[in-house]
Amino acid sequence: MLRQPLTRALTLSSPVRAAPLAARTYAGPPPPPEKFEVFIDDKPVMVVPGTTILQAAAQVGVEIPRFCYHERLAVAGNCRMCLVEVEKSPKPAAACAMPIMKGMRVKTNSDLTRKAREGVMEFLLVNHPLDCPICDQGGECDLQDQSMAFGSDRSRFTDIHFSGKRAVEDKDVGPLIKTIMTRCIHCTRCIRFASEVAGVDDFGTTGRGTDMQVGTYVEKMFLSELSGNIIDLCPVGALTSKPYSFAARPWETRRIDSVDVLDPLGSNIVVATRTNEVLRILPRTNEEINEEWLSDKSRFACDGLKRQRLVTPMMKDSAGNLAPVDWEDAMVAAARAIKDCPPNKLLAVAGDLADAESLVALKDLVNRLGSENTCTEQYFPLDGAGIDFRSSYLFNTKIANIEEADYILLIGANTRFEAPLLNARIRKAFVHKETDIAFIGPKVDLTYDYTHVGDSASVVKDLATGSSTHEVLKRLESARHPVVILGADQLKTPEGAAILAYTQELALRLQDKLEDKNWKVLNVLQRTASQAAALDIGYQPGVGKALQDGPQVVYLLGADSGVVSRDQLPKDAVVIYQGHHGDVGAGMADIVLPGAAYTEKRATYVNAEGRAQQTLVAVSPPGRAREDWKIIRALSEVVGERLPYDSLDEVRDRLAEVSPALVAYGDVQDNNYFAQARALSQSLQKPVSGKVDVQLKQLEDYFMTDTISRASPTMAKCVQAVLKQKQSQY
Amino acid sequence: MSFLALDKWARLFRIIKQNGGIFKTTYKLWRFDTLKEGTFVGSDMFGNKYYENNFYFFGRNRWVEYHPRFAWEYDATHVTADWYGWLHNKTDNRPCEDCAKYYMNCNEYVNNWLMPFSENLTGTEKAYYPWSTVNHHICVWDGCAMCNRQPKK
Repeated sequence: MLRQPLTRALTLSSPVRAAPLAARTYAGPPPPPEKFEVFIDDKPVMVVPGTTILQAAAQVGVEIPRFCYHERLAVAGNCRMCLVEVEKSPKPAAACAMPIMKGMRVKTNSDLTRKAREGVMEFLLVNHPLDCPICDQGGECDLQDQSMAFGSDRSRFTDIHFSGKRAVEDKDVGPLIKTIMTRCIHCTRCIRFASEVAGVDDFGTTGRGTDMQVGTYVEKMFLSELSGNIIDLCPVGALTSKPYSFAARPWETRRIDSVDVLDPLGSNIVVATRTNEVLRILPRTNEEINEEWLSDKSRFACDGLKRQRLVTPMMKDSAGNLAPVDWEDAMVAAARAIKDCPPNKLLAVAGDLADAESLVALKDLVNRLGSENTCTEQYFPLDGAGIDFRSSYLFNTKIANIEEADYILLIGANTRFEAPLLNARIRKAFVHKETDIAFIGPKVDLTYDYTHVGDSASVVKDLATGSSTHEVLKRLESARHPVVILGADQLKTPEGAAILAYTQELALRLQDKLEDKNWKVLNVLQRTASQAAALDIGYQPGVGKALQDGPQVVYLLGADSGVVSRDQLPKDAVVIYQGHHGDVGAGMADIVLPGAAYTEKRATYVNAEGRAQQTLVAVSPPGRAREDWKIIRALSEVVGERLPYDSLDEVRDRLAEVSPALVAYGDVQDNNYFAQARALSQSLQKPVSGKVDVQLKQLEDYFMTDTISRASPTMAKCVQAVLKQKQSQY
Repeated sequence: MSFLALDKWARLFRIIKQNGGIFKTTYKLWRFDTLKEGTFVGSDMFGNKYYENNFYFFGRNRWVEYHPRFAWEYDATHVTADWYGWLHNKTDNRPCEDCAKYYMNCNEYVNNWLMPFSENLTGTEKAYYPWSTVNHHICVWDGCAMCNRQPKK
C-alpha cells in the first residue's frame, strides 16, 4: 500500500488476525478529546486533534480538490491534488494526509496553492489521454471537472511529437467492469476499496514511475460481490461499467431516487432512465443502510427488468398454452375461479418482491372472501411467540449499529451473499474497530477472519444453555456490545423453532447483562425484501400447512421461488399468477396478470431492520402491465367484494391502520417485548442434532436468486465468469 | 340604386335563385358558412363542384362546393390533385384544358403506376401507421418457464 502510516498498513493487510483466545474486557468509550482552533482561509474553526486539513476545511465549507482521498477509505496521499499552502511552512502540504496543528493557518486559495494545483493537473494530463468524447465517464469525471476549475488553460506537452503519450494495456477483471488503463491516474482508490471494504486483496500496483500500472498482476476476475463500487470510486474513466458502456451520457438520463429490493437491506438507489428504459442503477448515500456502496446484484441486475417480462394478461387455452387475452377476460376468469372456490380452499402466496401495498390489498381481499390463507414463501416458526412480536423476526441491532459491535456471532447467516452491505459493515467493524466474529455453519469465505464454531445446531444449544466450553461463549459474555445474527434459512428446517428459541435465549441472556440497556443483541436476517412487510401485515410464513389442505384456487403474488408447485396441488386447482417476470410462478399458472417491477411503481418496502422505504416510478410498466395493488383492487370489484380504497394514499392509510411503522418512511422503530418472546419460546428448547447450512455458499450462487436477476443476462455472464475463474490456477 | 344598397339585395336574390330556392340556400349556408354566386367551372371524380367569380377578391374568387354526400364531413383533401392547381390559382387551365394532364389521363398505362387519388385517412380505420424501426426495450416472456425451457408446442 502506498504512503500509509505503518501501523495502518499493518492493520489493514494482515490477513491472519485471528481472534485472540483469551477473553478480553473492552474499555469503555474514551472521553471526547479537547478541541482547538485553526484558521482555514482566515475563517476560524474548532477541530479535534487528528483532524486533517481537508476535513477541517470541509467543516467550514471549503472544498479542496482531491482525487485519491475518499472519506470511507484509508488516506493514500499520492495524487497531490489537495496541496494547500500552510503559513510558515516552506512547502505546500497535502491536505488529505496532514493532521492539523493548533493555530495553523491554511490558505486554500492563495497563489502558491493555485500554482501547485495547476502543476499537479498538468502532470496528470500529460499522462492522460484526451479521449473525453468517447469516454464513458464524460460528464461525471472528476478529472474533467477539476481540470476546468483548477487546470491551466494551455498545455506544454510536446512529447506527443517524439515518444507519444503513455499507454497501458487494458486488464480483464470480469464481465462487470471495463478497464481502460491508459486513463488511470493511479489514485489507488480501487486498490484501497478492494482490500479494505470488499476484502478481496487482488488489486495492486506494479512498476514505478511512468511504468506504474494498477492491476491484478496476473489476469484474473475481481471476485467480489461489491465490485461495481470501484466504478463509482474511479475519479476518471479507467474503470467503467461494462453493461452500461457507450449507452448514455449522464446529462441525458433522468435520475429517480428509489430503493433496491433484490436483497433484504433495502439499499437506497438512484435509477437512471432514458426514453422509458432503465439504463443503470447507482447507489444513493444512506448512512444507516448502505453508506454509499451497492452490491453487484442490485446494481447490475437491472437489465433483467427488460427480459422475460409479462406485458399482457394471459390465460391457458384449450391446448394448455398461455395465450394473451384482454384484461377484462382475465379478470372475469380470475373472479369466477375465486367466487366458485369455497373460502377455506383459497390460498394466497406472496413472493420475494411483493410490495406492502399489494400485500395488504391481497390480504384484505382474501379475508373479505372468508379465507385466512395468506402465506409468504419464506418460513418462520409459529410456535412460541412466532411472529407476534416484531422483535422476533427483524434485524433489531440495526445495520449502522453493527459498527459499534465488539463481538458478532453469525448463526447460519452467510451475510456476504445474503446481505453484502451488511457484511461490508461487519468487515468495517472488523478492520477499524477490532470487532471479532464467530460463525456457526459451513466454512465459507466471509472476507474477514472468523472463529469457526462448527456447523452443528447443537452448538447453538450449548451456547444458549451456557454449557458450552467454547471460548466464544466467554467472549460473548464479556462483550459490551455483542450481536447475534440468525439466518432466516435455518428456520425452514424441522429444528428451526428450536434453533430460534435457543438463539433468543442466548441473545436475551446476553442482552440482560449489558450495561447499555438500549443495545439489542438478537437479530434475524430475513432473506427477501418482502418478508418483513408481509409478516407485519399478518401473512402466515410458509405455505406447508395451507398446501396440505388441497387449495382450489392459488393466488401467487410474485411467488417464484418454487415452494408452490403443480405436483402439490389438486388436479383441478386454478393458479392465478400476478407478477412481472415469466418464471416458475407464471410457468405453472392458468391465469397470468402482469404487474409492475420495483422500478415501475411507487411502493413501500420494509427492509430487514423494519425500516419502511418507498420506491418511486422510474419508468412506466411495460405493455398492459399495471401497478400491483390496482390489479387486486380491480379484481376485488369483479369478485364483488370491493376494497375500500381507490388511491395510493388510501391504501397507505390502510397500511397505517395495520401498522404505523409501515408508512413511517425512512424511520426505524425500536423493538421491544424481547422478554415475552423469550418466555414463550422456553418450551421449544428441544434437543437439536441437525447441521446448520447456508444456501448461498460461493460467489456463483449469489448472482441469480430472484426473478429479476435470473432474467438478467449480465448476472448469467457473472456466474459463467466466476465458474471460469474458479478453474483458473490463480 | 347603389345608394339604397339595392344591388346587394339584387345579388342576394340572384344567389338564392342560383342555389335553387330559399331552403337549399339555407342548407348551403349551414354547410359552408358562406353564400356566393359564381360560374360553374367543372366537377371532379368525387362530384365536388368548382366555381369561379372574379367579383370576389383574389383568393376567394375560386371555390369548391363539396358533394352533398360528404355532408359536414368534408375535408380539404377531398379536392383532387387534378383540380388542386386550378383551385389554388397555380393554373388557369381546368384539368380538361391542361394538355399534359389530359394526355396522361388518356393513357391507360398510367393506371399501372399512378395510384388513384385518395383523401387524407387520418383518424379513420384506414389511417397510415408507421411501424417502429427501433428494437424493443422489453423482451416479452414467451410463456415458457425459465426452469423448463422448451419450445412452445
